Amino acid sequence: MAASGFRDPISGLDDNARFASLVMPHIDDAYRLAHWLTGNRADAEDVVQDASLRAFRAIRGFAGGSARAWVLSIVRNTAYSWLRKNRPAAVVTVEDLEAVELAHAKPGDPDAETPEAALIAKTDADHLRWAIAALPPPFRETLVLRDIEGLDYREIAEATEVPIGTVMSRLARARRRLIATIEGEVS
Amino acid sequence: MPEKSFWTIGIQQMNESTSDNNSVLLVHAYLDGELDAANALGIAQRMSAEPALAAEGERVKALKSLIHERLPRELAPPGLHTRIEALVGGVRRPRPQPSWRALAASIVLTAMVASSSTWIIVGSPPENTVADSLVSDHIRALMAPQPTDVASSDRHTVKPWFNGRIPESPRVVDLAKVDFPLVGGRLDVIGQTPVPTLVYRHDKHLISLTEMPAESHIELARIPRTVKGYNLVHWTENGVSYWAISDLALAQLEQFAQLFRTNPAEL
Repeated sequence: MAASGFRDPISGLDDNARFASLVMPHIDDAYRLAHWLTGNRADAEDVVQDASLRAFRAIRGFAGGSARAWVLSIVRNTAYSWLRKNRPAAVVTVEDLEAVELAHAKPGDPDAETPEAALIAKTDADHLRWAIAALPPPFRETLVLRDIEGLDYREIAEATEVPIGTVMSRLARARRRLIATIEGEVS
Repeated sequence: MPEKSFWTIGIQQMNESTSDNNSVLLVHAYLDGELDAANALGIAQRMSAEPALAAEGERVKALKSLIHERLPRELAPPGLHTRIEALVGGVRRPRPQPSWRALAASIVLTAMVASSSTWIIVGSPPENTVADSLVSDHIRALMAPQPTDVASSDRHTVKPWFNGRIPESPRVVDLAKVDFPLVGGRLDVIGQTPVPTLVYRHDKHLISLTEMPAESHIELARIPRTVKGYNLVHWTENGVSYWAISDLALAQLEQFAQLFRTNPAEL
């Protein structure tokens, strides 16, 4: 028997064991992301089940790094293909959105500082959830991956298949929109 | 600071607007802990000097803590875990995990922290793992007194040797006339599966040719052409995946692969 002294212990496991150790610990995160992206619990369950099968089939392709980020990127892609198939109207193309946003964004406007951080802190969970749900998908996913799931910029860039610079500008825009919505709600 | 003449103000504002755009991104990145020390220091200084950036920072901080504190962490509904386990468990093997695996995993986890080279091994995609494993087997065979478990140039000896050792004996082709004589065969192990390997010779170079059931998930583009200085030629035919490994020049190894594919097999 030709046993190798340094064989990868994870790929040495069978697929089910790999799935159990790489994917199963992140089902809650997967469900949370799917819920944010689809906006609906039943859809989120469907998406997570689809994504789990995809992850299982691709389990040997996991190339190390954060398993959670890997799982979330599969959930994200599954959610979008699910939405495209089942609710095509819900999918906003990124190009349309970036064009609109560039026109809207006025960073550096000194008037933007008028509403105070204190106002933001008063917001209740329902309003916050509603405001996040109202973000356009590319902004919503970036914000959710960062501020709810805690992925770093590089992981978000890989999961959403955009450069880090785009992640940064989407995140800033998402937060600004969110803040504006919250402030509009409160005042 | 010199007083601005009226015509420079417009340009100044334009520049400020673009550079502020980047500053805003840096404020966010700073609060997300994504900046290195130099950039973090730079933006922190600017935030203390520029009220607009400071205000942006305050708002972002307030929003982040709002999300963190106020938004409940939703959990998957009860039963979803079980359903997913059932879903992927259709092909579950009932065999329990031997404890040495857990032990090995914990050792490597420790080693991963300590050594970046270990990480590369652990992080290698499975195509590379198969390739690495086969190259290791090839090297080990070269170092062993015998590169084969059955030494014979006669395909009628080599092929039956595999019968009874593995479920399907490999395709064996006689290439002695084209200067790739058969040397013998051996069993290699990939993961926990024994796979048949034929050994051919060309001049003084040995070629290990391993056959295994083709796995559809392997991305051909990701299979390396060389591993540890050995050339590797891979192809798939009739659901069987072939891996030829040798220190032979790549062109010759490809010629061997071509000959193996086009010559009739021993039945």
